[in-house]
Amino acid sequence: MPGERPMRPHQIRDDPAHAISDVVPEELRQQVKELRPAVDVGRGKAPYRQLLPGVIQAPADWLIAWGRKGSLWPLTFGLACCAIEMIATFMARHDLDRFGVLPWPSPRQADVLIVSGTVTKKMAPAVKLLYEQMPHPKWVISMGACATNGGPYSRYDRVLQGVDKIIPVDVYVPGCPPRPEALMDAILALQKKIMEERGQVGR
Amino acid sequence: MALQQEHELETIDLHINVGPQHPATHGVFRMILTVDGEKVVDCDPVIGYMHRGAEKLSENCDYRQAIGYQDRTEYLAQFNAEWTYCLAVEKLMGLQVPERAEYIRVILGELNRVASHLMFMGAFGTDVGFFGTPFMYAFREREVIQDFFEAVTGERMMYNYFRPGGVAWDVPHDFEEQCRYVVQHVRRGVEELDALMTDNEVFLARCRGLSPVTPEEAINWGFSGPMLRACGVKHDLRRAEPYSIYDRFDFDIPTGTQGDVYDRYLVRMEEMRQSLRIVEQALRQMPKQGPVMAEGLKRTIRVPPGEVYSRTESPRGEYGVYLVSKGGDKPWRLKIRSAAFCNLSALKNLVVGNYVADAIIILGSIDIVLCEVDR
Amino acid sequence: MPQDAGQAPVVERLRAILPQVPWEFVATPNDPAIVVRREDLPHLMQTLKEHPDLAFDYLRCLSGVDHIDQLEVVYHLRSFRHGHTLAVKVPVPLEDPHVPTMTHLWQAANWHERETHEMFGIVFDGHPDLRPLLLEEGLGYHPLRKSHPLAEIEEWQEDFLEREEALVAAAAPPGARAEEDERAKKIALAQKKAEVIKRAREEARAKGLTGEEERKYVQEALRRLEQEGG
Repeated sequence: MPGERPMRPHQIRDDPAHAISDVVPEELRQQVKELRPAVDVGRGKAPYRQLLPGVIQAPADWLIAWGRKGSLWPLTFGLACCAIEMIATFMARHDLDRFGVLPWPSPRQADVLIVSGTVTKKMAPAVKLLYEQMPHPKWVISMGACATNGGPYSRYDRVLQGVDKIIPVDVYVPGCPPRPEALMDAILALQKKIMEERGQVGR
Repeated sequence: MALQQEHELETIDLHINVGPQHPATHGVFRMILTVDGEKVVDCDPVIGYMHRGAEKLSENCDYRQAIGYQDRTEYLAQFNAEWTYCLAVEKLMGLQVPERAEYIRVILGELNRVASHLMFMGAFGTDVGFFGTPFMYAFREREVIQDFFEAVTGERMMYNYFRPGGVAWDVPHDFEEQCRYVVQHVRRGVEELDALMTDNEVFLARCRGLSPVTPEEAINWGFSGPMLRACGVKHDLRRAEPYSIYDRFDFDIPTGTQGDVYDRYLVRMEEMRQSLRIVEQALRQMPKQGPVMAEGLKRTIRVPPGEVYSRTESPRGEYGVYLVSKGGDKPWRLKIRSAAFCNLSALKNLVVGNYVADAIIILGSIDIVLCEVDR
Repeated sequence: MPQDAGQAPVVERLRAILPQVPWEFVATPNDPAIVVRREDLPHLMQTLKEHPDLAFDYLRCLSGVDHIDQLEVVYHLRSFRHGHTLAVKVPVPLEDPHVPTMTHLWQAANWHERETHEMFGIVFDGHPDLRPLLLEEGLGYHPLRKSHPLAEIEEWQEDFLEREEALVAAAAPPGARAEEDERAKKIALAQKKAEVIKRAREEARAKGLTGEEERKYVQEALRRLEQEGG
């Protein structure tokens, strides 16, 4: 209506008329649970899996996944314009610290690599090296259009059309740049993903 | 005895790579420092990790589509970049921008300058050792400014609002009261930042007297903006080569004395206050109604053949756009002369002879925006 | 659009100080522009910087332009003492893209010339360090030339990898490929030797040889391999 403020994002989410399905729909979640990988990567040789299998496994998996998702430490890796919105997400208004997210400068102690900005072919080896320097378990959030597929610069030949050409990506965030709320949504989606794939992927 | 022994020791200079990913470098910038003990002997900056070809892509874009690339090139002072580009197109086409649009441009441009300097305060303070606190203070004000920009243009960062001939649409009906609230809020925030940082003993000890620059050197090296004004050269493009309606406003040009890091910080702090002064004057003088776009512009802009170099005073210095047009609806050559590129080219002269930790502070005081340096 | 009468005062001054240099005046908004020949450039720029009436001490911008039949270098200058500005345009032929450098006059020209060199292929004679600034070394093409096209949108990851390898192979000098073949040959030889040693050792153990005899058996096998190869 003219004169009224447009609906804010949180109002659209809570409004049943605008309800969107959850991150992973229920039937797909069931299908994923029933899938068994060809090579048994999830069932490792950890002691807690050997003692009383089934009894200790499920709660231990839940505890480990809860610990991992509650304290995701991203590497401070701001490349371009999306970095400003990433910094704004860490700041007081859209606080990410309440989710346990703490920006950490060293790749050796970081969990998540938030690729925020365009990756050029000159920078690609450095990104790959940083990803390989991070110890498992690690995840990658590709923030913004440039990291997803090259974005507005995809027609230039020195630009890597998407960071997923060199490292595996877990969550893609659209936008140029994505709002801080969108990045928060991505972190929450990653937390959901960590919880859902607990014990099934050999991280 | 001990001194004698030291002189007989053979030493090798160490190469330290302040790599593309570093918590202190603003964006992906690489310095190869050659250090002798703790003193820097040589510095080789390597840029180009963010070279995305905005100039080449603009050659294949409409004149209105290229505004988006200007936003993303200078992503902290977007309005200044758009303004320079629109000035270039308007000069070639001979367009007359209506009064109300000029005032809107001035208000938004100056608030953008404040936002950019706030980001500098945050990043520079983190480099010097405050480590995160100035970011918190500065972003509180930046969020208020960004909310205001979102109400006017619809976007938090890449506004895409200025057009050749004016601005894209008129401002909301409560523009003036929102703007006054923003000015009042930001003024208080600037005073708080000042009280936090300026008289801090450690800050003074680290920054006072670090890498002083004489005016002749600064002009030869191609400095502009706060880097040049900190050396004592009272040169501001809004006064020296006035564009738009800047000759109607009354504001001071802060200058420093030695050109060291602390002077650059003081100049930027004072510039924020002067920008808020300009915004208040513009709000008072702005016409209440009027067109915001020049008449008679078609859906596709065709610019007559010619070339122009237009420049504005962006928060980092002189942002210039050299536009060559050969008729048609696409630019033939769009060269962006970015202030950070020219300021950064003298990094070796500034850093050599100082300690490694000071090299980081000097880099922070230049206030680079990597997308502008690499385009 | 060349006009004969220099309307700007700086152009009048220039005409008075350097009458023998042939140049054309082009009217552009904001700055007066003159077109000069390459040969006159060093002397002209020296005078522009050092003459007290001109005193152009600030190099604002150095751009390259690709008009398809020729290249062009454009210098934008400003004088802090007098406040006047000037643009100097130098046409550069495609077959011989050399221009004298200006780094000895304005240090700001250093990075600008490096960038123009890698983007257009214009060589600045006398530049202290003409490495690429924004692009990687040894790329083999100049992106901002009109002859270089925009990239295609890549859909599959294999396309990207193939194209990168093709680019690297095309840009590498022929000597590099020969070195790689040498290295590949050495690696293959070492792998063959390791296999022979492993097989010989297994055979020796099967026959029941130990210690010194086993070692002699393995060395026999290696000598046989070398004879075959050599």
